[in-house]
Order: sequence, then C-alpha cells, then structure tokens
Amino acid sequence: MASLSTSLLTAVQSLDAATGALQVTNNNIANANTPGYSRQVAVFQEAAPTDDGGISTGNGVVLEGFQSVRDELVQTQIQQETQAQSGANAQLASLQQIQPAFTTSTQDIGTEMSALFSSLSSLSTDPTSSADGEAVITAGQNLTTAFHTASNTLTSQQSGLNTQVTQDVSQINQLTQQIAALNPKIAELNASGQIGGTLQDQQNQLVLSLSELTSVSVTQTSDGITLATGNGTPLVMGAQSFTLQTTTGSNGMQQVLDQNGTNITASLTSGDLGGTIQMRDQTIPGLLSQLDTLANQFGSAINAAQAKGFDQSGNAGKNFFSISPTVAGFAGDISMAITDPSQIAASSGGTAGSNGNLANLIAVQTAALPAGQTPGNAYANLVYTVGSLTSNATAESSATASSLLQLNDQLSSVSGVSIDEESANLITFQTAYEAAARVVTTVQSLFTITLAMGTAAAE
Amino acid sequence: MRVTNMVPDIQYAMQQSQQALSAALQQVSTGLRVNQPSDDPSASANMVISLAASASVDQYTSNIDSVSPLMQTADSAISAMVTSLSAAITLGTAGATGTASTTNKQDMAAQVEGDLSSLIAQANTSFQGVYVFGGSATATPPFVAASSTYTSAQGSAGSPLSPATALTPGSVTTISDATTGDTMTFKAVAGDTIATLSTAITNAVAAGTLSAGTSATINAGGQLTIGTNSGTNGIVVSSNDATLGSMTATSGSQVANAYAYVGDSNVNTVQVGNSTSVATTVAGSQLLTSGANVIGSLNGLITALQSGTSAQITTATTAVTTALNYVGQQRIPLDNTISQLSDQESYLGQDKITLTTQQTSLVGANLADAATNLSQAELINSAVLAAAAKVVPETLLSYLPQ
Repeated sequence: MASLSTSLLTAVQSLDAATGALQVTNNNIANANTPGYSRQVAVFQEAAPTDDGGISTGNGVVLEGFQSVRDELVQTQIQQETQAQSGANAQLASLQQIQPAFTTSTQDIGTEMSALFSSLSSLSTDPTSSADGEAVITAGQNLTTAFHTASNTLTSQQSGLNTQVTQDVSQINQLTQQIAALNPKIAELNASGQIGGTLQDQQNQLVLSLSELTSVSVTQTSDGITLATGNGTPLVMGAQSFTLQTTTGSNGMQQVLDQNGTNITASLTSGDLGGTIQMRDQTIPGLLSQLDTLANQFGSAINAAQAKGFDQSGNAGKNFFSISPTVAGFAGDISMAITDPSQIAASSGGTAGSNGNLANLIAVQTAALPAGQTPGNAYANLVYTVGSLTSNATAESSATASSLLQLNDQLSSVSGVSIDEESANLITFQTAYEAAARVVTTVQSLFTITLAMGTAAAE
Repeated sequence: MRVTNMVPDIQYAMQQSQQALSAALQQVSTGLRVNQPSDDPSASANMVISLAASASVDQYTSNIDSVSPLMQTADSAISAMVTSLSAAITLGTAGATGTASTTNKQDMAAQVEGDLSSLIAQANTSFQGVYVFGGSATATPPFVAASSTYTSAQGSAGSPLSPATALTPGSVTTISDATTGDTMTFKAVAGDTIATLSTAITNAVAAGTLSAGTSATINAGGQLTIGTNSGTNGIVVSSNDATLGSMTATSGSQVANAYAYVGDSNVNTVQVGNSTSVATTVAGSQLLTSGANVIGSLNGLITALQSGTSAQITTATTAVTTALNYVGQQRIPLDNTISQLSDQESYLGQDKITLTTQQTSLVGANLADAATNLSQAELINSAVLAAAAKVVPETLLSYLPQ
C-alpha cells in the first residue's frame, strides 16, 4: 500500500534523476565545442511498480546511466573521407610549390629556350659579332639555369617529402600506441556495464587523426577496436600496437616496413603518408623523367648541330652543352661546354664569317626530338602535366572537403551538441527538479500534519 | 535533419566565397584568366607554344631590321659599280673613235684603271664588319690585289723545305687566281707532302682552275714558292699549315690591275620567317669574275686603250657593256630581296597581332566578365558574412529571461 514514505522515496529518486540529467546537460554544454565529443543523454527508466492487493502503484523514475549518441557508419565514412582529403591535400601542397617553376615567366625553360634560338638567329645576321656571340653563350647559360631551377624544385620537394614520410610514420606509431592503450580501458568499462563515452570519444578522435595520416580499416572486437592499414598490415589489436619502421631504400628514399620488416611503402595510398609517397615515388619521378629527357634530347640535338659546323678558328664544332652519360638527373647537371663565343660553330665550311651552320642549330627548334615532339612542344606538354596534376589535386581536395563537410553535418546531427536543445533541457530538468522538491516539501508537510493528528486528538 | 552547429558550414561558405572573391580580384587586377598552369592546363601549354612563336616573330623582325641596311649597302655598292662601268664604257667609246691620240688613250686607260679601283673598293664594301660580296666569307675583304708569286714563311737555306716535307693534316691552302677567277682549295690529309700539294696545283692548272704556268717549287732559300711565272697572271695564296707558315706575296711581284677573289661561292642566309630565308650576302665571284667577268672586261679595256687598235678598243668596250648588263641583271635578285624584306616585315606585323590576339584569348580575362564576376563575388561574400553575423549569435539563451 502506498505510503508517505514511498512518496518521499519516489520524490528523492526523481531529484536524483533530475540532478543526473542536469549534470549531463551541463557536460554537453561544456563540451559543445570539444572536437570528437558525442553528446550524452541521461537514460531514465520507470521504476518497477508495487503491486498491492491488485493495485499497481508506480514508484517513480530510475536514472539508469548516461549514453553517448553515435553513428558508427557515418564515423567510418568520415574516417575514409579524411584519408582521401589528407592524401589530396598532401599532393596539392607539394604541387603548389612545384607549379611556379613551370609557370610562364621571364626565366622559365620555355622563355629561355626561345631566347637561345633568338640569339642564334640574331647571330646569323653577323656571325663574327662578338656581342651576338656573347648573347648566345649567355642565353645558353640562362637555359641551363632554368633547367637547374626546375630540376632543383622537383628534387628538393622530393627530399622534403622523404622527410615527411619519416615524420608521418613517427606520428602513426604514437597514435597507434595511444589507441591501443585505450582499448583495455574501454573494454573494462563495457564489461562492468558502464559506458565508456569519454574514452570512446577520445579513441574515435585518435582514429580520425590516424586517418589523416594513412589509410586504416577499423574493426570492432570484444577487446576494443582492431586497426589495420589498407593492405591489412595490423596496427592495433587489443592492447597491442604494432610499430611501423622506416629504412633507407636502394633509391635513397625512406621505405616503410611493418612489424615483420616487410616493405609496405607501395601499398600506402591514402592519408598524408599515402599522398606524400604518391608524390615522392610516382608524380615527381614522372615529372623529373620528362624534364631530364627533354634536357638530354635538347642538349644532344644542339650538340649534334654544333658538330656539323666549324667555329671561328675553322675547328670542327665542339659540344655546346656538357653531356652526362645518363639521362636521370640530366636537367640538374646540364651546363655549358663552351664559354667563348668564337667556339660557336656558326660556319658550315670552316670559312670565317659563314653562318651556314647556324641554320642547323636554329632548326633544332622545329625538329622533333627522339621522343617525338619539338623541344617547345615537349616543354608545353610538361607544363600541361604539371597544370593538370595540380588542377586535379585541387578538384579532389575541394570535392573531399565538401563531402567531409556534409558527413560532419550528418554526424553532428546525431552526435553534436545543440546549445538550444541543451538550454531547453536545462529548463526541463530544472522544472523536474523543482517539482520533485515540491513533492518532498508536500510530503514533509503531510508528515507534519500526520504527526500533529495524534497531538490534536489528545488535547 | 537535426542541426546542432552551423559554424562549420558558415566557415566553409565564407572560405568558398572568399576564394571566389580572391580569384575574381586577381583576374581584374592582372587582366589574366590564367595565372598559373592549374588555372587552365591546356591554355597554359598552348601559351608556351604561342609565346615561342611570338619570340620567333620578334626575332625575324629584328633580323629584317639588321639585314635590311646590309642589303641596302650591297645595292648601293652595285649601283656605284654600274656608275664605274658606265664611265669606263664612255671612255672606251671615246677611245675607239680613232680621233683620240695615243696620249689621250693612255689617259683614258689610267681613268679606267681608276674606275676599276673604284669598282674593287665597292666590291670590298662592308657593313658593320660584314663584307657583303665575300659570299659566306664575310670576315675579310673578298677582293685582294694579286701577285705573281707567294713565298712561305717557313724554310731556310739551313733547314730547307722539300717535296717530301709532310704537311699538317687538316690544314688548308688556297690559291685564288685573278685571271681564271677560280680558287683551288687544298686540304691536307695524313701522308700529304709538299709534293702532293704540287701535284694538286698541276691538276688545277690542267682543269683550268689556275692559270697555265702556276706551280709550286722550293726556292734557293729553302722556302716554298707558289707562282705563275707570268707578269700578267696574278694569284693570292693563303695557308694555315704550320709547316709552311703564312704565305706572303713576294716583294715587287704584284700584278697591275689584277685582283683575285678570296671569298667563296656560298652565301649567308638569314631566317626572316618560319619557312622564309633570304640571302644576305653576294658571292663576289658570281658578280664580278665568273659570268661576264666584269674585272676581266675592265682589264681588257685598259689593255686595249694602252696599246690596242680602235677595233680592239671597240671590242673591249662591248665586253664592258656586256659586263654592265650582267651586273644590272645580278642586281635584280638583290632588289627583289629588299622588296621581299619589306613585305615580310608587314606580314610579321600582322602575324604578331594574330599571336597577341591568340594569347589574349588563351589566358586573358574578358574584363567585362571579370568585373561582373568580381561584383558577383563581392555580393555573395557580403551575403555570406551578413548571414553569418545574423545566425551565429542567435540561440535560445538570447530569449530566456536573465
């Protein structure tokens, strides 16, 4: 049978529930701007009723605990999109630094190449002019400088990216250690029936940070989450994290090894590390190859034309550019083989004042190199490649940013804290607390009246 | 959909609108739609090719500006040669009348000698160091007074050269003959000796390249002497063979009114268009020694005036007239080239405009569009900022009693 004591107990439970809900609301408001925080809700449950003589009487509310509101699917999508965006951003950042070397200016390769041919053409009007000859030598030197600048830009980028690989791997190892350390704590809380909301949020945030660095797949197990790279290399299993290592490869570049020493560099395709490796091992070598081939074939063509003629002393034309035996690195090494204008093989027959061979030198401008294109077209193709790569990386970065924004909006719609909602909840739970407190006051009053009943009768 | 926090969306919108504003501002300020290859990779690549074409056009125009005065100089020189030849014809005509005394004819001969000297001076005309009538040998005067014998610097009585003396492989010895107007060029190869050179000279005489009597001998001083053994045939000899040393004309062996052509039969050409080149020099041999042999005709007239009959003077004068007509004909291609240069310069001017238009089309911004884009970007950015300012501070708390 219901009693005042029961009512008082019910009111006290109600006060506890309201207090707990207010605490959750307070925590939500406090963490409204905390990255990775998932809003929590108080879980109320109706207390078991008392059955007395066929009459079932409610016993109020029980605060079961607190629950974080999550959407694991969207969380996974965000991790994947973050990997894609970080990869695109890594490539874009690098390409944006490479691009100026291939942008039309007063000193780019295309301009300097034109200047060399113009100077040769000018020399043809007066083949013995030392001023025009000097202009040819200067134009040749400027062109080699332009090749060096472009080559150095690419190689220094490659070197910087190589350093970035080591830094990324170091960060990955730190993150996997932290993630693994959280696994047993979360599992322990789960096993004891508690909800590890805060720890779960921290772990999710660490996984998101890891996703910025590399591709990871996440699997939920009874021991917590298991993490692996895109190709299945384990990173975290339960409380154990597996350290990645770096070692210098035969090409001088840092290679990434798994815990067994297996080289997994080529399989790392997304995240900052994947984008960095893609740029370092594929994009930049491709551009360097194009540049070196152009420099090599152009230099060889000029030298071949020079060899057809004779210098001002009647000697057979010597090499105009210094030729190294290998194509790789040629653009960075190309230099002038002659520095004296009189060594320009302008003459076709050895006669002083003849300009017959300058036509052969100038013809290099419009003749196809062994690669099949004229020097100008080959350079234009290189500019197109750089522009296209940068443009594509920009588009991918922009697209993933937009996609990521939408996914974050989706996640926020589930897990995000709304100040308006929490403000309303605050009022709701404040009212609930006030009402419960009023019940306590009322019951107290009734107790007083009840106690006074006996006293009044006695009087 | 439950909306909890609009700040990320607002920040994204602000970033997008500010990027658009920045891009629009850059287009307006630079006048360019493409400022880097990623703005339009295809246009950037085409721009590289177009700029190279533009540079070529600029250089062709510069070449025309450089060679036009050279061509004008050549044309003026030929005009002056025509004047000299006309003066000689007038003298020859006067000398052939039969009324001129021997003394008068001697004077006339002397005047024709002066005309020949003038003609040679014109033939050695240079413009800024370029000898226009030397063929491709533009570095030195193409017509040189000829001598009957040349002697090597090397060789002495104590250490004489001999037919067996080996020549330096790769060295070149040339003998230009004033009478034939031809030049023999001997390039030594391994194993060649002075005897080989001597044989080559004999063969050149047989072929008519060198005048009869031209030969190579070792003189009493042990030096190599190349001579014509004639008082009227003159040659000019040069050699870069260290074994022989420089070849110099023997003192007192200069042949009067004999000039040998030491240029070559090639010409220098200069590119003035993608597929257009013009000859900028003239082979003096073609102009003055081969064909009508202008120098020879003047020499003939001098000889006729000095000692010939009226008939011989008439014949010599006719030869000079033929030479005059020949020179006039040789001038036509030169004049055509000068005219072609003028036309080409106009064409290049048009080409430059076309290329500039193409470049503007490739990377230039349409200013009207750019201004509109800027205006639109400003509007959008303002709208985004205004919306942000209105939305961000709005919460339920604003409406709750304090």
